[in-house]
Amino acid sequence: MTDPVDAAPDDSTLVRIRGLTTVLGGKTIFDALDMDIARGKVTSIMGPSGTGKTTLLKHITGQMRADAGSILVDGRNVAGLSREQLYKLREGIGYLFQNSALLTDFDVFENVAFPLRQHTKLPEVLMRNLVLMKLQAVGLRGAARLMPNELSGGMMRRVALARAIVFDPKLILYDEPFVGLDPVALNQVLKLILTLNQTLGITSVVVSHELAAVQRIADRVMLLSNGKVVAQGDPKSIADDGSPWTRQFFGGEADGPIPFSYPAGDYATELGFAGATK
Amino acid sequence: MSQPRSSYAVGTGLFIVLGFAALAYLATQTSSVANVHQGDSYTVDAQFTNIGQLKERAPVKIAGVRVGQVQSIGLTPGRDVADVKLSIDKRYDHIPQDSVATIFTSGLLGDQYVGIDYGTAKQVVAAGGTLARTKSTQPLEEMLGKFFGAGGVVDNVGGSYSVTADFTNVGTLSVGAPVKMAGVVVGSVQSVRVDPVKLNAQVVLAIDKRYNKIPDDSAAAVFTSGLIGSQYVAIQPGGSPDALKNGDEMILTQSAMQLEDLIGKFLVNGSPSDKKDAGAGNK
Amino acid sequence: MNARAPRSNNAVIQSLAQIGACGLFLLTLLAAIPRSFRYLRETIRQLWFVGAMSLTIIMVCGLFVGMVLMLQLYHVLSIFGGTSASGMVVALSVYRELGPVVTALLFAGRAGTAITAEIGLMRATDQISAMEMMAVDPIAYVATPRFLAGLIAMPLLCCVFCAMAIFGGHLVGVTWLGIDNGTFWANMTAVVDVRTDIINGVLLKSLAFGAVVSLIAVFQGFTTPPTSEGVAYATTRTVVASSIAILALDFVLTAFLM
Repeated sequence: MTDPVDAAPDDSTLVRIRGLTTVLGGKTIFDALDMDIARGKVTSIMGPSGTGKTTLLKHITGQMRADAGSILVDGRNVAGLSREQLYKLREGIGYLFQNSALLTDFDVFENVAFPLRQHTKLPEVLMRNLVLMKLQAVGLRGAARLMPNELSGGMMRRVALARAIVFDPKLILYDEPFVGLDPVALNQVLKLILTLNQTLGITSVVVSHELAAVQRIADRVMLLSNGKVVAQGDPKSIADDGSPWTRQFFGGEADGPIPFSYPAGDYATELGFAGATK
Repeated sequence: MSQPRSSYAVGTGLFIVLGFAALAYLATQTSSVANVHQGDSYTVDAQFTNIGQLKERAPVKIAGVRVGQVQSIGLTPGRDVADVKLSIDKRYDHIPQDSVATIFTSGLLGDQYVGIDYGTAKQVVAAGGTLARTKSTQPLEEMLGKFFGAGGVVDNVGGSYSVTADFTNVGTLSVGAPVKMAGVVVGSVQSVRVDPVKLNAQVVLAIDKRYNKIPDDSAAAVFTSGLIGSQYVAIQPGGSPDALKNGDEMILTQSAMQLEDLIGKFLVNGSPSDKKDAGAGNK
Repeated sequence: MNARAPRSNNAVIQSLAQIGACGLFLLTLLAAIPRSFRYLRETIRQLWFVGAMSLTIIMVCGLFVGMVLMLQLYHVLSIFGGTSASGMVVALSVYRELGPVVTALLFAGRAGTAITAEIGLMRATDQISAMEMMAVDPIAYVATPRFLAGLIAMPLLCCVFCAMAIFGGHLVGVTWLGIDNGTFWANMTAVVDVRTDIINGVLLKSLAFGAVVSLIAVFQGFTTPPTSEGVAYATTRTVVASSIAILALDFVLTAFLM
């Protein structure tokens, strides 16, 4: 179950999760979860809402600590890192937030430049060129002086993406990158994710439940439910692997292994009929 | 964004400078550290035997018009006179040498200032010169003493003697209220209490020993000065040849008039029977 | 970061838990001061927002407080013929009580709520998480600069308030009601003492109030549930808690300093 802590950096697995167990507010989010995320590939984590997909990303970046288990990112155990080491690790990870999380105080340019300003002492000219290059990559060089509240949802997500890649990370975590986007903006983001993966070789983890979008970019899909990986495979074949989980999730059935009803006591008892029938 | 960044810094710098300027203002202009000079002025000395409450920077006035201020107050070494330096505006440099500097008080409780009354001499006071003729401040007690005459204020120096008087109602008479005869204060109320047996008010009057010839059949009445003024005890002398002595009781008393009674009597010709009378009847 | 106060049904226990959590948060803030030195520029920016931007309201309110105080005192003191003392009374009451307290209350309303709402919204929109992800410590970058800015801004604002109040008092007393200018200043300077009134009164009190108000504002922003509802409640709580803390602390400080 537990791998040696010093896994070889040239290992084909970038993120290795073993026995991850987390209990939040009495509810088990992860139950001895095992997961491997391949280097240089696009891995999609899918699952019904509330299965802890975002929580899993927060575990990978060390924003949340697990109750048990280990998470190795590029051979380093996230849980054992000090604050400085953790921050060092995060500089190598890009994170795209569901709602973009741009700093509302700053314009687009400063938002993208923010990580550079905080962690480097680059000359202003070099910094400017670097930021403009990243903005050009997401097609928003012309919007450099706009404030975040002047942007559409799709533009905000692209700015956030430019910010996430400003340090040329090894790994980008996309948290629901397609939510709330119109088809055009959705395709733009899809194309960006693919381009970043293919041209720069950035390992990408996409958390989403947009099946159609995921099938176009993902090399591997993992279906998360009840705190475990219930199915995994390449996007074409996973829907046909025959397990009840995949059949329900990809078929969109209302009831199945993923229950329709929230766990509750006996229905008749709660309505007060149990005594009457006796 | 580099321009807005620096404008924050400039604005914040201005804010900090303004804050410190305000602090400097508070500390220097409004506190005891302060010492300002207003326009060109020259200094004149004046010596007073008593400066009372005169303070530095108090105004100096001629004919009621402000011409300068008190620059400093010190004690002349070796003598018990106050040395006051007056800073006077250059425009008023024709003050005769025999002018009188007086310390006045504006109003009864107001602040003190230095007034200069012009003399008749041809020579004027030069800068750094001295006004030889001064009039010091008058302590309030002295002024009051002069005003009221020597025996005007009742004191307990001569001692007093006590007499008691019973009233059915003392109104709001309180301890310390004056006792007057012919309108003149002759003593004060020493105590007011209810007699537990007779159920009326027993008032002890302390009367000055100097007034020891009050006839023992004199009447005591509780009066009110004005409509809403405080109450006092008035003694109306009788005709007995014997005088009141310490511990005597005054038989004839007249209780306080209740305002309600007065108005009632006035309006309805005394028809409402008040509680006091009813209580007396029961007894 | 998610230093949420432990939940309890008992209101007293809950407030105690809040105070305790606030105290622990203060330690976190203070511990982050060395790390926030590199964000000096951010501190200056916050000083602009909480200090310089509050200047207008502070100046206007100070002016009116001085004017109305002088007007009231003049009418009362004219009964005793002591109107010349009104400048002195204005100065003393403003320096010792009204200046620091009113400035702090205004500061809580103007800057405290802004800080709480801003931090609450930053959390609601994941900006705080984003900073953590970009390896920027939110305590050192967001919380401590705002706290320090409040700490620095309050005494400065209080000085400005007091100066404006004196100016307002002078305006009404000397220019309008005809108190002698020299008497006005003479009485004031004779009574106002630099150490007890200006250092202890204006500076020390406002420094303490600045620390309390900005601590409460930052704490509420960081601990409120990151929803629009939570932010709304947190801003209200900032004003209520700050006002109570200011007045209670004022009593304690007055008892100790005067």
